[in-house]
Amino acid sequence: MAEPTAFRREARAIVLAWVALIALMLASLGSATLRLGAFNMVAGLVIAGIKTAIVAWLFMRLRDEGRLLRLTAATGLAVWCVLVALSGVDYLTRASTTADVERPRALLPVSASAAQRGR
Amino acid sequence: MTRDAHALPGVEPDAGKLGMWAFLASEVLFFGGLFVAYLYGRTHWPQGWSGASRHTDVVLGTVNTAVLLTSSALVALGAAAPARRLSARLLWSTAALGVLFLAIKGVEWHAEWRDGLVPGVDFALADTPGAEEFFALYFVMTGLHGVHMLLGIALLAVLATGARRDRPWAQARQVEVAALYWHFVDVVWIFLYPLLYLVSRHG
Repeated sequence: MAEPTAFRREARAIVLAWVALIALMLASLGSATLRLGAFNMVAGLVIAGIKTAIVAWLFMRLRDEGRLLRLTAATGLAVWCVLVALSGVDYLTRASTTADVERPRALLPVSASAAQRGR
Repeated sequence: MTRDAHALPGVEPDAGKLGMWAFLASEVLFFGGLFVAYLYGRTHWPQGWSGASRHTDVVLGTVNTAVLLTSSALVALGAAAPARRLSARLLWSTAALGVLFLAIKGVEWHAEWRDGLVPGVDFALADTPGAEEFFALYFVMTGLHGVHMLLGIALLAVLATGARRDRPWAQARQVEVAALYWHFVDVVWIFLYPLLYLVSRHG
């Protein structure tokens, strides 16, 4: 169990991290009002990456953890990157011809369609 | 290696934490597939994708992001708090913010239903190729995120009740493991926010 002074120190770090996260959220919102083309996406994802790093490092306490736990945490991300690359082999090299899909339509109510059949 | 080396902080991780991180790594892949689907849609129907994403509610999306970031800070405080009662109060506050998030999300979903943005019959943007795919993915991603929120809220509520009564299964160690899950759900939203609400406001 943490001592009160240690908790106070920890709490200060958490509050500072929260301020940074909200500031980054506003920066992300602000970047969306600028006309940057593809860089709108880059800005959004880079800021999301920084926010994730803050959450993982301070809130999820990877800062205090050993190598085994950090490696376990990184596994998901690493495997995901491999899978994205492998998916790209298919999706990026295939001509994107979309099949014709029949749009869903509203069906006649049952009573109306029964009446139609009766006619 | 001697016993002392094992006792070094960080050498032998807590089994609960390690298990949760392994689970979260699998969750990264669970949501990761949907992010790949997003990438596919974004690159194959750039017009439809940006056109459709302009119909999401950026004000409510931003408010919800702030709510979730704040809840993450509260649960981090709750996990660090030395007193069980303080921890319980912080966990309840976190769960309450989670409920607020879902309530705001519900308002958004309702407005989208009303405006015909739910894929299917009478979809409002049917003449824009890709728009329906965007909204299908939007509802799947935000819906699955919502299910994770529900589980997180239940988990924190149970732990808050236990922490208040100082139960052995609701000590700082357990709270820390539950907090990891909550932070992960927050991180998923951190990526959904720019992708669904922001990147195509100008396009």
